[in-house]
Amino acid sequence: MSDHHKDDGSRVETFDARSPSRRRFLKSMGASGLAAATAPAWAQIAQASQSQAEPVEPRDDGAPGEGEQQIQLIVNGVEHTLNVKPNAVLLDVLRDRLELTGTKKGCDQGQCGACTLLVNDTAINSCLSLAVSHDGDEITTIEELSQGDELHPVQAAFWAHDAYQCGYCTSGQIMSAVAILNDDNIGSDDASVREAMSGNICRCGAYKNILAAVQDARGKMKGAS
Amino acid sequence: MREFDYARADSARQAVSSHGTNEQAAYLAGGTTLLDLVKIDIMRPEQVVDINRLDLNEIETLNDGRTRIGALVTNTALARDERITRDYAVLSEALLSGASTQLRNKATTAGNVMQRVRCPYFRDGVSPCNKREPGSGCAAIGGYNRSVHAVLGTSDKCIATHPSDMCVAMAAIGATVQVQGPEGEREIDFLDFHLLPGDTPWKEHALKENELITHVTLDAPIQGSRSGYLKLRDRESYQFALASSAVIVALEGNTIREARIALGGVGTKPWRVKEAEQALKGQPANEQSFQKAADIVMRDATPYEHNAFKIPLGKQAVIRNLTTQTA
Amino acid sequence: MSDSIIGAGPRRIDGRLKVSGAAPYAADHYPDNMAYGYGVFSTIASGRVTNIDLSEARRSPGVIDIFHHGHFPSLYHTPSSMMQGNKVEETRLPFEDDRVYYEGQFVALVVADSLENARAAAYKVKVSYDEEKAIANLDQGVKAHGTQKGKGNHSRGNPGASFESAAHSIDYTYATPVETHNPMEMHATVASWRGDRLHVYESSQGVLQEKGALAKIFGIAPNQIEVESPFIGSGFGSKLWMWPHAVTAAAASRETGRPVQVVVPRQQMFTTTGHRPETRQRLRLATDNQGRLVSVRHESINATSFTDQYVETCGSVTKSLYSCDNVLVSHETTRVNRGTPTSMRAPGAAPGLFALESAIDEMAIEAGIDPVEFRLNNYADRDESQDLPFSSNHIKDATRQAAEKFGWSKRTPEPGSMREGNEFVGYGMAACNWEAMRFPCDARVSLRADGTAYVTCATQDIGTGTYTIVAQAVSDVTGLPLERITVKLGDTSYPEGPLSGGSWTTATTLPAVAEASRKAIEQLKSHATSGQGAFSDVAAEDLSFENGQLSHNGRAMDYTEVLGAQRLASADGEAHTGGADTSKYSFRSFGAHFVEVRWDPGISNLRVSRVVSAIDVGRAINTLTARNQVEGAVVMGLGMAHFEATDYDHRNARPVNNNYAEYLVATHADQPEIDVILLDNPDYEFNEYGARGIGEIGITGMAAAVANAVYHATGKRIRELPISKDKLMEGIPEPQRA
Repeated sequence: MSDHHKDDGSRVETFDARSPSRRRFLKSMGASGLAAATAPAWAQIAQASQSQAEPVEPRDDGAPGEGEQQIQLIVNGVEHTLNVKPNAVLLDVLRDRLELTGTKKGCDQGQCGACTLLVNDTAINSCLSLAVSHDGDEITTIEELSQGDELHPVQAAFWAHDAYQCGYCTSGQIMSAVAILNDDNIGSDDASVREAMSGNICRCGAYKNILAAVQDARGKMKGAS
Repeated sequence: MREFDYARADSARQAVSSHGTNEQAAYLAGGTTLLDLVKIDIMRPEQVVDINRLDLNEIETLNDGRTRIGALVTNTALARDERITRDYAVLSEALLSGASTQLRNKATTAGNVMQRVRCPYFRDGVSPCNKREPGSGCAAIGGYNRSVHAVLGTSDKCIATHPSDMCVAMAAIGATVQVQGPEGEREIDFLDFHLLPGDTPWKEHALKENELITHVTLDAPIQGSRSGYLKLRDRESYQFALASSAVIVALEGNTIREARIALGGVGTKPWRVKEAEQALKGQPANEQSFQKAADIVMRDATPYEHNAFKIPLGKQAVIRNLTTQTA
Repeated sequence: MSDSIIGAGPRRIDGRLKVSGAAPYAADHYPDNMAYGYGVFSTIASGRVTNIDLSEARRSPGVIDIFHHGHFPSLYHTPSSMMQGNKVEETRLPFEDDRVYYEGQFVALVVADSLENARAAAYKVKVSYDEEKAIANLDQGVKAHGTQKGKGNHSRGNPGASFESAAHSIDYTYATPVETHNPMEMHATVASWRGDRLHVYESSQGVLQEKGALAKIFGIAPNQIEVESPFIGSGFGSKLWMWPHAVTAAAASRETGRPVQVVVPRQQMFTTTGHRPETRQRLRLATDNQGRLVSVRHESINATSFTDQYVETCGSVTKSLYSCDNVLVSHETTRVNRGTPTSMRAPGAAPGLFALESAIDEMAIEAGIDPVEFRLNNYADRDESQDLPFSSNHIKDATRQAAEKFGWSKRTPEPGSMREGNEFVGYGMAACNWEAMRFPCDARVSLRADGTAYVTCATQDIGTGTYTIVAQAVSDVTGLPLERITVKLGDTSYPEGPLSGGSWTTATTLPAVAEASRKAIEQLKSHATSGQGAFSDVAAEDLSFENGQLSHNGRAMDYTEVLGAQRLASADGEAHTGGADTSKYSFRSFGAHFVEVRWDPGISNLRVSRVVSAIDVGRAINTLTARNQVEGAVVMGLGMAHFEATDYDHRNARPVNNNYAEYLVATHADQPEIDVILLDNPDYEFNEYGARGIGEIGITGMAAAVANAVYHATGKRIRELPISKDKLMEGIPEPQRA
């Protein structure tokens, strides 16, 4: 794939408001992408930086508590053993427990697609999934797509085509696009892509650019992935 | 979601036994209906029996020409199966017109059959709703009843549409539902599976309390037929039908040898109209015949405050689809 | 560099964060020990809470506390002044008393150790009500208690008499329903107290207003509060002002001693975070026998809440878009049992131009003149409502360019006269218009010894591309490439920047950023020419700075070396720039939409197939993001025209489609072919960049352009949005009455 965007990290700084024990691996950020930020002293927050990059500890401590069940989720290639309640939703477990916040909650009812991720390579709405029923499943989220600084062709195309505005539906759009582009059953014409992507609402209305990005990435994924 | 107990079943028999006669138990397959309704506190199962690991993922062609679909075959897998696209185009098209790519990837055949209504008064948890709270009344009557309310098969107790597209195609094709109960297996004719609301809208289907759908078996395809699904809605995708039609038609020359018609979005259950089919039989495939059939389809329709347009729209769904399939 | 970066189309500087899922939105923050708040919302629209039974909820796992009107700290009202920087739209405090004014109002908040536990317990809170008869819609409001005078009214000449004596006239009433912003990101607050200091992550279009409002409400000094909103999942106006959920989060955090997250569920995004109100608009227009407008009256009523008066200024554009001596614009409101409305993308103008531009189409037809020609003949050359010249107005050029590209000349005027296969094709058009505003702004720019620039301003990037255009402005002044410019927005600790709304962010922010950049360069020169500086023998004013190099008489040095030599971290500039001087010019943006629709009467299917929009907003700073703004606004306008309406039960004011499945917004599959023409006529009367802002204008006029095209395709004039198929169908039987 093209790598002309490798060295062009974003310059919008941000920081990760998590305690040191709960911080997550911000692996997709380039060296310039997450510069250390000034945080208010009172907040006592940890700042994400390259030196602190490490995975969240994958294991819950001890046996499941009352009403909990122990499950394994293989998330982005890392196995996590978690004790979860039956009513815990996959989306919430990924966000609140593993702090993989790239997957977004837009409606919590399977009506918008912001929470789209891949389970065993199939795109689903993670808001309508119990974590406990995904015991042993392989889950791929937006955080897994890029290889270090190198963006996935779909990510690169979204950036190049301005295929977003606010960015909130973007993770879901990209995960759907990746699944669609890897699916021979879905036609490559514009109308087929539009229909297949219609489970991902973009209230900003960046549909034209999203379509352009998906079709652009199609060419670049040939031979890749 | 409130708390519930969770158990995973390894066999249909075990699932039925785990479910037991607990009225507050629910089978979990794709979860796209169940978890949606549990999340908004409309369904409150105490026990969830996860059936996703059951071996019910096969699509088989039986010796008698019928096609047996496992309960857990996803909507995506079913829509794409080459036997389905070849012999039952109407079913494939119906499935692909439903929901979204992601939801179809999760939603299962049995789950789709068991879909519950989209009526806002059912879903709001507080309005009078005989489905949710028997005897409380039907707020949809006299209320806002446009998109997800029926003109056919309604009663003064309930007017919600059955939301499925898949079931409309199955109703047209003809099918049986295989179920596993504590006393063993039995079959239910698909057209008898979903119940009209009548005076008991809380009784939605012919399953007994702890029965589990294991398969849906489609009737053998009609030789020499063409079929298709036409879904009419406000936006172009990701919306329940305002009116839809599943049509199967076989011609001899320009004469209709056999026809099947079912409608979605307009009925309180997947709406097969055998009388209209009979009326088409032996008739020329032309607009006049189609119009006559469509008039029969809607002859007993009841328009409500906001959905009267579904009567002409339902007719249009039938006429255009028949026109396309006989062109 | 200067010539190319402004008006170029570089991809966004925050793009990598957005495509990586790494951009942090409000609910992506997890301070240590955070608890989760989940609301309990009223299930009646009018009445009182008579009892709250918490016995079951309290026993629910993980519950920390449950707040309601009987258990909530005593807080203060904010004066709610935008000028003072403490405005909210719903002035009543959550849990202030036992009153219920709308369905979906907070009546309790459960705080628990996890989202699932909080939600489960919230469902176990049993609330009893004394329900009163609700006012469910505008008609019921007017009937029950009439109307109240609004704002933004205007009159000139004698529109009544000139209407009576005119050659041609029309008199129609148009209606628009409640529309809901529905940004993808649900409103969210993460509030934490440390002693007497409050920190808030909020999904906000205006961090400073929220800070000011929280200070008033909690009775503390503004400098005890920090609000951050580095990324927001858009707002479209719904996040301009703080809503009750944020107050509940901040109060719950203080009471429980833990950070508390409150996310507004999607259903309540329709009730307690604002909406565009229902409107009724009467348009009376008249022309002379040449088709010149001689009388224009635009009288509007909108529904507001029982707690606040929100005026949807539908006639705001009508005052000045067309030349006419006799004009009346009036706004009134009536109270209904809904949450308080708020600005939604192009407030006033979006519903107002649906009515005005539909009426203009009807007027043109009545006068027997082509709608494009009619507009070209009647467009105003100066702002007659203020008697001021426009700073820049290229609407005629926009209209002609769009008409040409669209192929308007192929239109046969008779309705239903253009057909392809099963489909009737309709062409329609309408004007776009939006006021250009600019407010005071502060910004700070540091030229750092490491070769980067660091920019801060307490405005926000709500998805429009503010991060990127700010960097472009700094690059323009300093010559630094975008990769070396860091932009920080959405934090109240930065210099005071504007609310992100009204399309004024660009025009307001960039002059301050540019001025701060120049001041940083001045300071750099001052360092360089000081006693220890590398250019100590040169006067500061003789030193030049270009592309990161300080130079004088052929001697050049990279500025980083200059700073490094003196061991200085940075050279800094802070600037304050003022608002627009509105005494000499009227500042507005203009444009035109041309729309093709296709109507298949055999299946009653309407779709918008093609849109050409020409937009005159002065200079577009970034053509990539600017074009995206217009394309997105066209899509939202299409939704407004065709799908969008929040429906309420007329018996009890309960919303009945408050979810993303039944409140229909456009999907990928609804996307028409869109062609956006950006006219490039910099408006230097407005600011040094000539930019007037672009967020709103694209939605204005769009619904009318669709309605006009629908008329052309079908012969049916739909005066009530949305243009759903049932309004176009024939042969609908009379409904059975319950």
